[in-house]
Amino acid sequence: MNLSNSEHANTPRQLSLWRLILTEFKAIISDKAIAVTLFGGVLFYSVLYPLPYLNQVPTEQQLIVVDLDHSSLSRQLIRHADASAKIQVIGQVGSITEAKRFIETRKAHGLLVIPEGFRRDLLLGKGVTLSYGGDASYFLIYSAVVEGLVSAGMDAGKQVQLIGMLAQGQNPKQAQESLNSLHLNSVPAFNQSLGYTPYVVPGLFLLILHQTLLIGTGILGAGQWRHKGYWQQVSPVQLVCGRILAFMLIYIFFTSFYVGYCYHWYNVSIQASLGLVALWLLPFLLATAAVGVAMSTLFTRRDLPTQVLLLISMPILFVSGFVWPIALIPEPLVLGSQFIPAVPAIMGMLELNQMGASWASVIPKWLQLWGLFAVFFGLAMLGIKRRVRLLAEAN
Amino acid sequence: MALLTALVRRELRALWHDPWQLALISYIPLLGILCLWWLFSAGLPRQLPVAIVDQDHSQLSRMLTRQLKANPVTDPQSFTDLSSAISAMQQAKVYAIVVFPYDMKKDLLTGHKPTIDVRYNSQFLLVGKLLSSQIQLSLGDGLQQVAGLKQLANGTPKSQVAVNLSPVKSQTTALFNRNNNYIGFLVPPVLIALWQLLSMLVMANSLNRELHLAPTTHADGMSNLLTEHFWPKVWAKMVLFTPILMLQGGFILAWLYLYLALPMAGSLALLLLAQLVMLLAVWSLVLLIFVVMRDSARVISFCTALFAPAFAFMGITFPTHEMPQLAQWWRLIMPSSHYIESHVSIVSYGATWPSVASQITSYWGFICLIPLIYFLSRKLLPTTVNTNAAVTVYDSDAAISAKGQ
Repeated sequence: MNLSNSEHANTPRQLSLWRLILTEFKAIISDKAIAVTLFGGVLFYSVLYPLPYLNQVPTEQQLIVVDLDHSSLSRQLIRHADASAKIQVIGQVGSITEAKRFIETRKAHGLLVIPEGFRRDLLLGKGVTLSYGGDASYFLIYSAVVEGLVSAGMDAGKQVQLIGMLAQGQNPKQAQESLNSLHLNSVPAFNQSLGYTPYVVPGLFLLILHQTLLIGTGILGAGQWRHKGYWQQVSPVQLVCGRILAFMLIYIFFTSFYVGYCYHWYNVSIQASLGLVALWLLPFLLATAAVGVAMSTLFTRRDLPTQVLLLISMPILFVSGFVWPIALIPEPLVLGSQFIPAVPAIMGMLELNQMGASWASVIPKWLQLWGLFAVFFGLAMLGIKRRVRLLAEAN
Repeated sequence: MALLTALVRRELRALWHDPWQLALISYIPLLGILCLWWLFSAGLPRQLPVAIVDQDHSQLSRMLTRQLKANPVTDPQSFTDLSSAISAMQQAKVYAIVVFPYDMKKDLLTGHKPTIDVRYNSQFLLVGKLLSSQIQLSLGDGLQQVAGLKQLANGTPKSQVAVNLSPVKSQTTALFNRNNNYIGFLVPPVLIALWQLLSMLVMANSLNRELHLAPTTHADGMSNLLTEHFWPKVWAKMVLFTPILMLQGGFILAWLYLYLALPMAGSLALLLLAQLVMLLAVWSLVLLIFVVMRDSARVISFCTALFAPAFAFMGITFPTHEMPQLAQWWRLIMPSSHYIESHVSIVSYGATWPSVASQITSYWGFICLIPLIYFLSRKLLPTTVNTNAAVTVYDSDAAISAKGQ
């Protein structure tokens, strides 16, 4: 700030837009708190946030087996379960209570109970019931355990059926066909590996860009409003334009790094063309920068913007609709969140880039971002006018 | 003791004059907790839109559609052609597509093997996985009825049909969180992460304030010099803020387990104890960062960087033992990840005092911090001169911003 003051003393004339952008740029770089948040934060979070999810899919969940049958078939079933990529059988115990204790001490995450007389009943043509249990305090583990066990159990059932049919004298091909009379071809679309980083990273990284940009503009403004400086010498329109353009220049690099390199690095599926993604992100960055400038006029303490934005990060993440379906979020929250640029931007980006929607179908959200930009640009100007007046009154 | 009460009174005065701190301990937590709960208040995913493209138009395809309609999770919506269903899926208007192929019933009756195509949106992992299993369940059940009719027509006795169709039945039980409720699963860790942020901010702000005070002696004999009575001042902050933050933590527990009456196997008192230990661990971390940084903006941004991703590292959404080693180490720095282990074992497994106590020993690293903080505070704090220049500006700033906001 001192730097820009002295510069202004040298050039008493009105700053041209380019000079203003340069001054803004210097103010951003020379402010340690902003520089650390922007450059450090963006780099640090690009590594730290996806770190827990790098292994993508939970595999080999520990399973404890209660085998009350002790037959060849039950042992085969256990081997089949163990062969499933999602399950690792860690041992057998004599009773369900004992198995439960394994789960409570976190040595196992699921249990399989093979009832007494399992093989005998099957061969006699009576139905049997296998029991699976999983720790539903952890949903991802639970679904992995159940998926693994269900497929192992179905497989065992099919084999028994096949043996039975062959014994009754059916020909093998027909027996196969009557067992699988109809094929259910269930395939994940979009994120085909069902991986965790392709699910979390696209939305989360846009949110990180959004929050750091807001913090940067917030700290810069909050530090200036109480002091004389170059920001008074230019008209509010010029200041808002200059500030937004300066931050845009920086964020073009950050966004390219995130959407270009990091998306690739974290195996995010990419469906849209570079031009369309750039066209999509342009109003997002502009609107976010405008919100940042408008919001910064509410603060005069430099430590406040970081705190406020930290507290609202999690709500924005959850309301944006990729963690918890929008259809289930209460309507007032969804409507209220539409004023936050990250919310339409994340959803639109997912539709456009991850799910391959056509440009025409995301245009409403694109226009919404432009609308937000216009509204907050106006609010930013009003806010700066108010700050100029307050400072003049204070002196 | 007299010193401590005087210092606590000093903290109270400071709190009263700081609107942001007051907000952090009053309406912000209340609003945050209630809003986050409201967001997830649906609890169980229901009526998720699924596109049905029926190219068969047979009694069978209509029966399968009715099966999907009967499932509370799926809400089938008819689409006449595949391309419109695909574009609806790409715009996240439906979360899955089921295609009944042309001549499905005829193929089935003539011994061919038709294929029903199901595509589910795995970009929204949670919804996608749920729909995939529920659609398979509904369709599988419907198809069994068809196969059952076929067997009956072939003269199989009715009692035998069910066994023939599926000799091995499976009964899946969710242990602990029995109805797979997302409120019980997701909301407690989310709220604990929020609570951790709040406690961090309250303490960091209160410590930062000491940096901006003029080093003058007050009328009541209290020195504002940072080094003078540093530890008693820290104690006074803890004495004041511990009950306030525990009140917030208690509110979270009371809301979830008393008002909403989520299933709870253990005792609330043990949970409160675990919260208290977590709170002290958070504060030791904040104190360490404060002693090392000694600059208000940097303390806040460093604490923010450290605590913001805490939720991802708790290991609730993505299991801990599947994280890479580096993430598991980083996780140990977060007090919330220690707490959440105790939380799950108390709430789900009904853990009692001995096992909770043994879990609490996992905080040992934080105890090692205390001598380190003490040593650093002796060494570094005297080098920090209270920044006089900022004093007047800062104080009047706070007053004016209070009016301005």
